[in-house]
Amino acid sequence: MSPGDKPIRQKLMAILRLTSGVVVVLSCAAFLVYAVLSFRQTTLKNLSTLGAIIAANSTASLAFQNEADAREILSALRAEPHIVGAALYDKDGRLFSRYPADLGVADLPVAPARDGYRFEGAHLVGFEPVAQPGNTRLGTLFIRSDLKAVYGALGVAGGTAVLVMGLAMLVAYFLSNELQGAISRPILLLAATAKGISERQDYSVRAPKLGADELGSLTDAFNQMLGRIEEQNASLRQLITELERSNKELEQFAYVASHDLQEPLRMVSSYTQLLERRYGDKLDEKGRKFVDFAVDGAIRMQQLINDLLEFSRVSTRGKPLKPVDVNRVLNTVKLNLSVAIRESDAIVTNDQLPTVMADETQLVQLLQNLVGNAIKFRPAPPARPQVHVSAQVGETECVFAVRDNGIGIAPEYFERIFVIFQRLHAKSDYPGTGIGLAVCRRIVERHGGRIWVESAPGQGSTFYFALSNGTGEQPL
Amino acid sequence: MALLRAALASALVSSGLGLAAQTPRASEYQIKAVFLFNFAQFVDWPPGAFPDSTAPLVIGVLGDDPFGPYLDETVRGETVRGRPLEIHRYQKIEDIKTCHILFISASEESRLESILGNLKDRAILTVGDGAGFARRGGMIRFMSEKSKIRVRINLAAAEAAKLMISSKLLRAAEVITPGKL
Repeated sequence: MSPGDKPIRQKLMAILRLTSGVVVVLSCAAFLVYAVLSFRQTTLKNLSTLGAIIAANSTASLAFQNEADAREILSALRAEPHIVGAALYDKDGRLFSRYPADLGVADLPVAPARDGYRFEGAHLVGFEPVAQPGNTRLGTLFIRSDLKAVYGALGVAGGTAVLVMGLAMLVAYFLSNELQGAISRPILLLAATAKGISERQDYSVRAPKLGADELGSLTDAFNQMLGRIEEQNASLRQLITELERSNKELEQFAYVASHDLQEPLRMVSSYTQLLERRYGDKLDEKGRKFVDFAVDGAIRMQQLINDLLEFSRVSTRGKPLKPVDVNRVLNTVKLNLSVAIRESDAIVTNDQLPTVMADETQLVQLLQNLVGNAIKFRPAPPARPQVHVSAQVGETECVFAVRDNGIGIAPEYFERIFVIFQRLHAKSDYPGTGIGLAVCRRIVERHGGRIWVESAPGQGSTFYFALSNGTGEQPL
Repeated sequence: MALLRAALASALVSSGLGLAAQTPRASEYQIKAVFLFNFAQFVDWPPGAFPDSTAPLVIGVLGDDPFGPYLDETVRGETVRGRPLEIHRYQKIEDIKTCHILFISASEESRLESILGNLKDRAILTVGDGAGFARRGGMIRFMSEKSKIRVRINLAAAEAAKLMISSKLLRAAEVITPGKL
């Protein structure tokens, strides 16, 4: 888990605790430094005071070379246990007396150094001039104190600092727990609301607003956005309902119209055929021709109506999608087209084809139209029509291809050929109403797919259709 | 420098390695010269002892001078509480005009009582090294003790002359009261 992935509560608490922690540590460090420095200063001052007193008392001892007296004066230092060494030097820098008496000469400076007090290693040492006030110098007092007092003070200060730090951290811990909520609670509520919405698709919920700060404005903006989405969803739903209804009405209209048109048409067709059969010999050449036209027109109208019905049935009579083995579908197609295949001496080949979610009847209809077209728009004999069906299985969809060696199509007609009743050729050259590819497109679209063509005149055509790998039926 | 030489000599004497060129006596008077000078720092004279605040402090030697050059060397360039020091040598008591510390030489031993009597009312610190000097009315006596110089003080005599001897000096010295033993 990278730092960026941590919950916002933890981040806020970390910020609060880190900030207060750093402040506390720095303050304690400053306090410690101050304590040590000031105590060192105090120790220095105390030692220099003591040194001045001893020095003032030692003047006569040095002036009159009374060692016993000097020893006695120095031995007064016993009262201060931190003084670990002291010595008197005469005017010429020779050691005159020392304290404690058993202190080795080697432990003392050979000669007095510069006057003053200073820290040397683990000791504080000082050299104090010995003189009667306003008079010539009689000698030098050396005094040495250990730093146990300083260390002791450091220990006390350190202990206090640690205690204060611990308490401050503890307070910061609980405070950060309480305070972070002011910022994190609205954010967490907002996040929970957003999550709930995306999970349940329910845009009617609103995030609770806890204050009028920036987070409150954010919550407001979020809620307003939700409101707009809800409104737009409602109007979209209404639009879809209206579209669905008008689409259904149109389909119903087309179906009913074509269905109901069949009945009177059948009458016209039957009676004109009856007229031809019964009274054909009574009519002259011209009359017979007129009757022929009427019969032919009726038959063509019949065909058109049948085609229209077929077209509208794609959606009205569609069956639910289920797994379909396309190899079996192609076998049915070849069986259905066996007469045409035999007559045209066509070669229909295929790769191994996958199983897809489809309406099997419609898939047969689709492939049959495409293979049928390939044979119909065949190359001029003696060339044999060749049709090859293949498929490519992708991640989201299966792309099927029906390739032929037929007459081909110019690119400007690639769109037009899929429109109902659009024909590129004279009826006399190629029979048909121009419904086939329109039905194909409708079937593919009902399956949520796409259909397109790649071709050039005289180069053959390849019709592609892509079917989704998904299982759901796409709304039209 | 003089002090260093004296100290060196005294160190050699005490370890039994005396040098022919420097007699023990010379070093003894070297130390006594320094002590004489040091007395000036530990004694307060009554207000009338000095004509003004910059008047010199006079150290006198009565009789034969046993110090040789040491006394002059010791006080050369020194001051005490801002006063320069002067060394005067007297042969007769009548020669003594202004004087603050007077070393009475051993040559005056026989006349000591008369000298001390003569100086009785004057604020002069009398110093000597003869036997019984302090007991006989002198204020400070140098005593030789195991190659060291000790100081004995007749405090009553000093007080009678209105001289204030610092308690520090008293600490470092032996204080006697004549009449008692």
